Amino acid sequence: MQQEVVLAMLAKEPTHGYQLRTRLRDALGPLGDAMNAGHVYVTLTRLEKAGLIAVERSADGTERSDRKVYTLTPDGQQRVAEWIAEVSWPKPDLAEFHLKLIAAAAAGLADPLTIVDTQRRELLHRLRDAQRTAMAEPDHSDAALLLEGIVLRLQADLRWLEACEKNWTHRRSGS
Amino acid sequence: MDRFPLAGRLLLVGRLAVRDLRRRRAEAALLLLAIMTATTTLTLGLVLRDAAGDPYRSTRAATSGPDVVASTVRVAESAGVPGPGKPARSTELTELAELAGAPGVVGHSGPYPVTAARLQASGRTSDVQAVGRDAGPASVDRPEVLRGGWVRDGGVVLEAAFAGALDVRVGDPVTLDGRSFEVVGVAVTAAMPPYPKASCIFPCMNGAVPGGEAGAEPPPGLLRNPGLVWLTRTDVRNLTPDPDSLAYVMNLKLADPDGAQAFSDANHGVAMQSWQSILEDATELAGDSQILLLIGAWLLGLLATASLSVLVGGRMAAQTRRVGLLKAVGGTPGLVAAVLLAEYVLVAVAAAAAGLAAGSLAAPLLTESGAGLVGGTGTPSITVPTAGLVTAVALGVAVVATAVPAVRAARTGTVGALADSARPPRRVGWLVALSARLPVPLLLALRVAARRPRRVVLGVASIAITVSGIYVLLVLNAFLAGQPLSGGYGDAQVEVLRRALLVVTATLLSLAAVNAVVITWATVLDNRHSSALARALGATPREVSTALAIAQVLPALAGAVLGVFPGGYALFAAVNATTGGDGGRAPLPPLWQLLAVVLTTVLAVAALTAVPARLGGRRPVAETLRAGLT
Amino acid sequence: MSDAADIPVLRARGLRKEYGKEEGLVRAVDEVDLDIGAGETVAIMGPSGCGKSTLLHLLGGLDRPSGGQVRLNGRRIDDIGEKALAQLRRTDIGFVFQAFHLMEELTAVENVELPALLAGRSPRAARRRAEELLERVGLAGRARFLPSALSGGQRQRVAVARALSNEPSVVLADEPTGNLDSAATLDVLQLFEGLHGSGQTLVIVTHDARIAATADRMISMRDGAFVDETWLTGGTTGRLGALIGLED
Repeated sequence: MQQEVVLAMLAKEPTHGYQLRTRLRDALGPLGDAMNAGHVYVTLTRLEKAGLIAVERSADGTERSDRKVYTLTPDGQQRVAEWIAEVSWPKPDLAEFHLKLIAAAAAGLADPLTIVDTQRRELLHRLRDAQRTAMAEPDHSDAALLLEGIVLRLQADLRWLEACEKNWTHRRSGS
Repeated sequence: MDRFPLAGRLLLVGRLAVRDLRRRRAEAALLLLAIMTATTTLTLGLVLRDAAGDPYRSTRAATSGPDVVASTVRVAESAGVPGPGKPARSTELTELAELAGAPGVVGHSGPYPVTAARLQASGRTSDVQAVGRDAGPASVDRPEVLRGGWVRDGGVVLEAAFAGALDVRVGDPVTLDGRSFEVVGVAVTAAMPPYPKASCIFPCMNGAVPGGEAGAEPPPGLLRNPGLVWLTRTDVRNLTPDPDSLAYVMNLKLADPDGAQAFSDANHGVAMQSWQSILEDATELAGDSQILLLIGAWLLGLLATASLSVLVGGRMAAQTRRVGLLKAVGGTPGLVAAVLLAEYVLVAVAAAAAGLAAGSLAAPLLTESGAGLVGGTGTPSITVPTAGLVTAVALGVAVVATAVPAVRAARTGTVGALADSARPPRRVGWLVALSARLPVPLLLALRVAARRPRRVVLGVASIAITVSGIYVLLVLNAFLAGQPLSGGYGDAQVEVLRRALLVVTATLLSLAAVNAVVITWATVLDNRHSSALARALGATPREVSTALAIAQVLPALAGAVLGVFPGGYALFAAVNATTGGDGGRAPLPPLWQLLAVVLTTVLAVAALTAVPARLGGRRPVAETLRAGLT
Repeated sequence: MSDAADIPVLRARGLRKEYGKEEGLVRAVDEVDLDIGAGETVAIMGPSGCGKSTLLHLLGGLDRPSGGQVRLNGRRIDDIGEKALAQLRRTDIGFVFQAFHLMEELTAVENVELPALLAGRSPRAARRRAEELLERVGLAGRARFLPSALSGGQRQRVAVARALSNEPSVVLADEPTGNLDSAATLDVLQLFEGLHGSGQTLVIVTHDARIAATADRMISMRDGAFVDETWLTGGTTGRLGALIGLED
């Protein structure tokens, strides 16, 4: 979980730890279920140490972290603004798979087409999971939109695998 | 468009049109055939009309034909009317002779004596009117000797058509009222219509005997279908013991030939016949054949329009996308319409040319009866007005058949045309609902028909036109067959009329057959997709084929019934009205014949559509459905 | 399918389809063996031109194989006559096509009832069944619409309803989402999930991974032959978080 994401979720108003987690889970839907609660609090602790957030003790005075109220420091606000303005995009590492195929073929370690087939099985399983989850979501939920993105991405990956398959079939029959 | 000069534009239109025609040769050939059948028949009709007048005119020129033929009036004495006395006879002759000096008369020959006689030649007998002529040439009416020579004592010259009908040749012996003569010549004249249309100098009748059996004796004193023969004056007198029973004819040349009718109307107690009325009698037969052929030509023209409409409509469906392309690259609606029209105009012009050629080649087959007149055989030729009219009709057919689809295609929005691959089928809701209750082949057939109502109407119309044509032909045929010599026709004439009937019938039937096949093909092609789909959904090939055939046979049945009534009935009435004919004499075809016509039509259409329908029901399903994707 | 007594709904053995001759010979389908059990959804994937549509046509009796056998419910269908095949298509096979292939002049309900009418059902029974099916695909309100008034997804749903008209043993779908946008694809996807849930045997030829992912089994086809087979059943990967990088 990126620190900036947690930081940005706090930007609206001072927030309880449990509120933060609910907010994240609403946005991620079923995907958020897999989110480890501990992971979020580790991140919060790191942010606090970096001076990006401040902690207010809750009214009832308990020490439990989900009862604490977190607010952004000015440094934290600046960091969020920078992050929002940033042009970044998660990049899938296709080069690795690509090189795997080339290496496997060159060294005779494995049939590249077998690797492609295996990879496709894995991706299809993921696609099936994502799709089933998406279909179970109510219309227009935030999570459905995210799942749509994941499905499209997996589709793109599968199409690239198709291209790999065609290419390696061609190489094999050509050689 | 304004960027192109006119010539460039025409070139572009022409090139696009020709390229498209080349790509669809079979269709172009069918179109050509359809229009050509109509133009051929029309040409025949028109050529015959011209042929009807021409031989008489050339005969008139060659024989120095009279403008008016005058004769003494002879009344059948034995018919109970008191005969004129001797003085009256001389007065009459005097009056006739005086005509030579009448105002406006510039030349004459005669008066020549004429007698009635009975001619016998090789077993056949016929009444004749024998004219006594001088051995030397006359200034007016010099019969043109075709074979042999001119009259001499003891020698008889026969009018050519009469000689032909009796099968008499030069040198044959004949008898006239029992006296022997030798046939010395065969000649033609413009002073009398050829056999068996002779003018009656003596009381006579041409054609059937009213109320009598064929071959029965005519009333006494009345000549029946008299032939014309020429003898010397002496021989005529020798044949007639009583000079008072002679009649006289005189041939007159007028200063104003066009005024001949007025001259004969203006004059006096003498019987006179103008050259115009002789012309009319002489060419009556050709006129009848011509009317037949012209009616046939109009029917064929309608049929051709029907088949063209189907072909063009079917092509437009396939061409919508092409039109869209043409428009997308900058063609205006005008250009699009022009290209489409140009294609069919090209075909029409070719068809007109072919029709003119075929028509003029076939015309001699129908004009042989012109014997009896100089140049009467085998020389009808195409005149400029004929060629113009035939071309105009061909173009008219093409324009009428293409105008609607062309305009529709040109008006289609570019985007719509590019997106839509074909003319969307129509929906006839009640037919769809009705068909749901019927067995599968009928269900599919009605839906096939409902998809293209206009084509069904054309199919019905095409068959109705054909059947009404056949109805009229049946009536005429029965009329000709049932009563020999009826309506004043001799055997030879009946033969010619029958030939004309045959020509019309044959072309009518072949064009109708072409139509049936064209419509079926269009339907099969149009239904490729839905047929394949029906089969994918579980219809058997036989059900689909049967449906495609039924979709043709049902309209054919409707068309056949409509063609008999009111189609044929109305057409026959129309024919009677235009020809002034007396339809009451012609028997209407019996019921069994009409039923047979309807049944035969349906069977013929079923047979014609069987092959395309069978092919249409057996196309590979998967292939067709895949092709539908693009 | 472990039970030997189970007869597969569809079984192909050594199935071949060839086009052309000698040099130009193309093996569109090359020695394919396939068993499809009752209630199973099988996706056949592969690049375009790999022969998957031809295979589907062979399985549905729309096309004749050059060699091999096809059995439907244990009965050979590769060597029976056109008429018998047609009757089989009426009763045992439902087709769904990429281009929908609806009759444009017929309303939705008339399209759906057509196979029942062809099979000789009474007009009333056919209509009632068609209305039920339209309801099932969520188009009860559009029964009187012509296809031209329906969206792509709706048309395909009408086509699916039509395929179900005679309660076929198997529905064969050829690129059912090939002409649809993403939202309409989801519609059809859900419909197929529903069919699957109700125990309908389904064979889907597609190159859309989303459709393939709904299947119990995915078969990859290359150059007319099967090259890989994946069972997708057996629940989720259980690692949804991996999809968005929440876990590694």
